[in-house]
Amino acid sequence: MSQMPLHTLYNQMTDEELVRYSLHDENAFYILMKRYEPALLRYINRIMQASREEAEDLLQEIFIKVYRNINGFDINLKFSTWLYRIAHNEVISQYRKNRRYRSSLNIDDAVNDSRLLVNFLTDTFNMESDYLVREMGVEVKKVLEKLAPKYRDVLVLRYLEELSYEEISDIIQKPSGSVATLLNRAKEKFKKLAEQYQLERK
Amino acid sequence: MRDISREVLDKIKEEGIVPRPKRYFILRRSTVWILFCFSIILGSIACSTVIFRVKNAEWDLFHHFKGNLLEFLLIYTPYFWGIFMIFFSFIAYYYFRQTQGGYRFRAITIIILSLLISVAGGMGTYSAGITERMETVFEEKLPFYHGVSFHSRMVWMSPDKGLLAGRISDITKSGSFLLNDLDGNEWHINAEGAVWRGRLTPSTGLEIKLIGTRIGPNSFRADEVRPWHGRKNRGAKDRHN
Repeated sequence: MSQMPLHTLYNQMTDEELVRYSLHDENAFYILMKRYEPALLRYINRIMQASREEAEDLLQEIFIKVYRNINGFDINLKFSTWLYRIAHNEVISQYRKNRRYRSSLNIDDAVNDSRLLVNFLTDTFNMESDYLVREMGVEVKKVLEKLAPKYRDVLVLRYLEELSYEEISDIIQKPSGSVATLLNRAKEKFKKLAEQYQLERK
Repeated sequence: MRDISREVLDKIKEEGIVPRPKRYFILRRSTVWILFCFSIILGSIACSTVIFRVKNAEWDLFHHFKGNLLEFLLIYTPYFWGIFMIFFSFIAYYYFRQTQGGYRFRAITIIILSLLISVAGGMGTYSAGITERMETVFEEKLPFYHGVSFHSRMVWMSPDKGLLAGRISDITKSGSFLLNDLDGNEWHINAEGAVWRGRLTPSTGLEIKLIGTRIGPNSFRADEVRPWHGRKNRGAKDRHN
């Protein structure tokens, strides 16, 4: 079988099928990595202050860790959830090593992220969503940066990565109830910080 | 722009990185479950010891403490084993959290469940008589293990409260003997009319507990004599005059 048709075949497979094939063929793992590379890179950038290079190096480490542990993939979870869990743990361990855990301020990313954060911001601040997205992108991101990592994590996972409570629970390995509590607290903290930064009045 | 996935794939091939074998994960998961079960078993043993200590405490001695319930409870409450039981419940919680789906449960739920399992296990262990045998073996084989005797020592070395314990060193005459207490001091014991419990026969070297009254600096009148080991009501009552 030539390389191209095999890739096409792999491209049509589900994540879980690719996991099985990855055990025998690294190329299947390549397809898996390709699927998640942009999303994971964005996730790392959102929760960690790192240059693009640093984020990419970290992503490499994450993928190698995933490959090493692929036999330990919990079939009760979605592959993406398991992948995010490893990424989350790696970012935390990186943070513990370097005490650096703030997202970089790329204006384009910030505006994009704000668009996603609008879901709860419009409710919280009663603001026009378009205004928030266009004008407040950077400011919103700055406030997000000021939050403690545990609060920023859940906000990012819920509103930027758009994951369900159950998925977040599986990623940060806490009960769903605790995720809900954490999320509520994160929103309150965000609101207080936003007031401090006079986000509402702008 | 970097193709990270390609770089990783090249690295995997160049460095010959291979996935960890399945047995590694099976072993790791099994170890966690074994450690969890082990913690529960230790918690059960601690609980059964609590039950044993409470059941075998000499509650009838309370009146010798002149109503000082706190002092009495401090001596007889097996708080050390209670703390042990709680400690192992936390250890069990820790290992349960390490299991695949353990994080889905609230900490309080896991801890309470671990405690309940330990209590159930402890009751079973106690009912099967395992705890009593364990206590006996520990006291005999482990020199550092004082077991029940630690509490007993605190209680029974209170001659002013009418409680004394030691080993008979000499039978002086019928109903009287010399006793070396647990600290090695010699006492003249007048045991005329005393109730001897547990089918005891006065003899040199016998370890006993006395309930009575201090009648001098080194003299004690015994009203009741109990064996140092075992329970006071085991066996028939004998009266030695």
